[in-house]
Amino acid sequence: MPKITVDGKLIDCKERQMVLQACQDAGYKLPSYCYHPGLSIPASCRICLVEVEGIPKLVPSCQTPVRDGMVVHSRSPKAVASQKQVMEYLLINHPLDCPVCDQAGECSLQDYSYEYGRSQSRFEEDKAKKPKKDVGDNIYLYSDRCIMCTRCVRFTREVSGTSELYVDGRGYREEIDIFPGKPCNNKLAGNVVDLCPVGALLDKDFLFKQRVWLLKQTPSISPVDSGGENIFLEYNNGVVYRIKPRYNAEVNGWWISDDTRYSYKIIQNEKRLKSAFKKEHGSLTKTSTREAFDFAVAQLKSLAAQSSGSLYAMLSPMMACEEAFLLGSAIRAIDPEAVLILGPVPSAEEDDIFRHSLTGQQTFVIKAEKVPNAEGIRRVISQLGGPSANYNELISGNNPLLKNLKGGWIVGGYLSNWIKGALPAALATGFRVVQDILPTTLSESADVVLPGAAWAEKDGCWENYAGKIQPFAAAIVPPEGITREGDLYLALLGRTGVYNAQAIRKEMGEPFAAVSLPTEHVQAPAMEFAEL
Amino acid sequence: MAFNEPVLTKRIDADPGKRKLHFYDDYVATGGYKSLRAALDMTAADIIKTVTDSGLRGRGGAGFSAGQKRSFIPREKKGLHYLAVNADESEPGTFKDRYLMDYDPHSLLEGVAITALATQVDVAYIFIRGEFHHEIKVTEQAVKEAYQKGIFGQGGIFGSKHKLECYVHMGAGAYICGEETGLLEALEGKRGWPRNKPPFPAIAGAFGRPTVINNVETLCCVPPIIERGPAWFKTMGTPSSPGPKLFGMSGHVNKPGVYEDELGITLDYAINKLSGGMKGGKHKGTICGGISMGVLGPEQLDIKLDFDDVRFRGGCLGLGTAGMIVMNEHTDMIRALRNCVRFYAHESCGQCTPCREGSAWMKKILDRILAGEGRARDLDMLLELEKSQGIMPGTTICGLADGTAWATRTFVNKYYEEFAAKCPEERPTQMGIKRGIRNVTTPMGSNTR
Ligand SMILES: Cc1cc2nc3c(=O)[nH]c(=O)nc-3n(C[C@H](O)[C@H](O)[C@H](O)COP(=O)(O)O)c2cc1C
Ligand code: SF4
Ligand code: SF4
Ligand code: FES
Repeated sequence: MPKITVDGKLIDCKERQMVLQACQDAGYKLPSYCYHPGLSIPASCRICLVEVEGIPKLVPSCQTPVRDGMVVHSRSPKAVASQKQVMEYLLINHPLDCPVCDQAGECSLQDYSYEYGRSQSRFEEDKAKKPKKDVGDNIYLYSDRCIMCTRCVRFTREVSGTSELYVDGRGYREEIDIFPGKPCNNKLAGNVVDLCPVGALLDKDFLFKQRVWLLKQTPSISPVDSGGENIFLEYNNGVVYRIKPRYNAEVNGWWISDDTRYSYKIIQNEKRLKSAFKKEHGSLTKTSTREAFDFAVAQLKSLAAQSSGSLYAMLSPMMACEEAFLLGSAIRAIDPEAVLILGPVPSAEEDDIFRHSLTGQQTFVIKAEKVPNAEGIRRVISQLGGPSANYNELISGNNPLLKNLKGGWIVGGYLSNWIKGALPAALATGFRVVQDILPTTLSESADVVLPGAAWAEKDGCWENYAGKIQPFAAAIVPPEGITREGDLYLALLGRTGVYNAQAIRKEMGEPFAAVSLPTEHVQAPAMEFAEL
Repeated sequence: MAFNEPVLTKRIDADPGKRKLHFYDDYVATGGYKSLRAALDMTAADIIKTVTDSGLRGRGGAGFSAGQKRSFIPREKKGLHYLAVNADESEPGTFKDRYLMDYDPHSLLEGVAITALATQVDVAYIFIRGEFHHEIKVTEQAVKEAYQKGIFGQGGIFGSKHKLECYVHMGAGAYICGEETGLLEALEGKRGWPRNKPPFPAIAGAFGRPTVINNVETLCCVPPIIERGPAWFKTMGTPSSPGPKLFGMSGHVNKPGVYEDELGITLDYAINKLSGGMKGGKHKGTICGGISMGVLGPEQLDIKLDFDDVRFRGGCLGLGTAGMIVMNEHTDMIRALRNCVRFYAHESCGQCTPCREGSAWMKKILDRILAGEGRARDLDMLLELEKSQGIMPGTTICGLADGTAWATRTFVNKYYEEFAAKCPEERPTQMGIKRGIRNVTTPMGSNTR
């Protein structure tokens, strides 16, 4: 392995790595704008120029491969002068409207001005004026703030493969733009906002909502499909304001889909179930969770006492594995022959595959399966053993196991109404406890309704399509009136104490026991995107 | 050393009225394609050695050894090799390549074919500046003839086993597409944004394959070298810059035009002997090789026009293309520089921060000086900004920014008094915030914006 010295520090590198990346991996920061580890290297912004002993010119560290024994200076007078000059250049036409800019607080231009810039501009001419543009359903481009790093353009060419963005014009007049009538609306489009090192590309959804330094981050997983994209939930005062990608080389790399990005909206959905109901005299009446729960337990126990094998639990692929394990165990504690049923697994026709526009190389996949944990629930059901079935068998009534069912505990939790059309007969009869986050025709006809918590409000883990089990953590507490599923199931099991996902995973044994939350549980917003 | 007979212009009459376009038959009748037939009997290594021995240096601006450039192409062939002919001639003051293409297109094609033999090239592209409508037509016609006569095409060069395809590619009129890697990008159908080097085009050029890039005039020198040998070639020019050269004379001279002579003639000779002397006044300065190279001052008439003297004694970047813009004593040097810098600000491809922002900033400063609102520190600012530009300090990707730097450096330094006269020391004014001198003497010393 080659070793290089940067500003007197010895840094271990990988073969053929670039100096800048090697430094970043070793935790030593060099400034960069145009470089992004997930994109091609144009080496055009020139902020990363360093001196290398034996080379008379400055060289771009982002594009200079390491050589064993290389001696690099990033704080030498020549390098510093160049950094200062590039900073000055980037700022001469910059509007400096940080007070009203969403990026302020996580802006490379601000950070590097502070670290590498000069305190005063010597530019006394008129600044160039460039327009604001609406470049997509979710994206604004404030061209005057753009530093022409071309990360966004490269993203649409090299990752989404859709090539909507391009550079218009030349020299100081150039601007990022879209082709007429071809907005940047691909399913990965939101990533260009994350990529933009300054406040040029902005998310309409987040615009002017929060100052970023007020936001806290919690690592989580995407709830929208079986891909298991790694994300950060960013929240303040109990409100999730946005979702950002969390780097994971094996899963999503640096990117997330727009479905994932805006999935947090379910949390704030106005229709959300926020209190418990129980059926009294033929109609659902609002009640406390405690009362509804006690009523449900009593009814289920009496059904189980009449004949075994009459209860079922429908475990939703939106549930955390831990929750499924607890509910499965609890229902079996009441009725040892209870049937565990995997809930519906909605799926699009096929995966959305993204390719590099020139090489055709596959860069990103949005999975067709639109739930995060079908694999995990299958695994839990098989670990628990005993009678089991799937949703199709339940509604078609083909499975003899399902003939005698008298009552069940049905979990929904889907991000949109999951019962399409009329209520299937199997779900319309018997004693039904329905736990969901949105009202459905099922919850309207149930005997007991319990409001559920969204994934951002609880801890747990999901198994993605490839068998990777990934934990997520609660960023916020559920709205008033909602008890987290984990706590309810513990009560159903007659156990005391609060739900602790990590402890439950230990109980579940391998492979769950080995899963633990990344250590950066709660972290200040990252300064530089590349670090995520 | 002596220049006794025209070499590159042997088919182009000195009298404009008698000039004639030479197509295939005329070309062959005047000795054309003899060198190519001779080259077919030589090994690739021999051809490269001959070109290297001749000391031929690139005529596109950089003056890099043509033979050495060929030797960088991998010997062992693992796929296609390309040749790109740089006919994008857009350097202000330069109009020599079009002159060759206008009258003698087959000499270029012969140079192309010989170079293809030496470096095992499969496909040659002639990248012609988009505005050169006539040259494009003529070259396309010549290429068509060459296909008919069995030079290009799958029949092999004159029936030999070496096959060469040749295409004429029209540029879209951007100066930056003359920069060799900008040219390659444009050739690949992309935006003409120069590439970082390394990798050099000889290893990964067009479509990622080994590529030779040469200027039109460089390639036109090859057939005579093969025909008459390196020793003959070296009888012209200076030891480090041998051979004939086209000088494009323009500006305040009596007979502007393209003249062929040997490298190493003096500027005085070029002005007075070649182009009929100064017009309208005494010599004040000459932009020596397209504006990117900078300007030779009033006393530098003795500078030898070769690749080294212009640089070392002349204080310019180099000879460049030898497109001379001669200026007489009535020329406003500030306007002249502003014109140059405006060109770079307009033509900068916009990739590199220093070039994109710096050239526009410098242009704005010069505009202000011309508007009568200059002050002394503008000159310091210009000289500081200029140093932050170019591949020589390593701050940019390509040499366009060096052009901005050298033009500014040589103009401001060589005509400092003229600039200083327009840039007085700070003038305190009552208001203090007149445009151009604001921020200077405002009572609070504050930024008024
Ligand atoms: C900004 C810029 C513009 C250039 N324009 C041209 C041009 O129009 N024609 C040309 O032959 N070379 C041009 N060059 C030089 C080429 O990059 C390259 O050095 C040349 O084509 C090599 O050919 P040669 O070795 O035969 O000179 C330009 C260089 C720069 C930096
Ligand atoms: S919009 Fe942002 S990402 Fe795109 S080029 Fe400008 S600064 Fe870079
Ligand atoms: S130096 Fe200027 S012209 Fe050359 S690549 Fe950089 S920005 Fe483009
Ligand atoms: S980060 Fe290296 S040049 Fe932009």
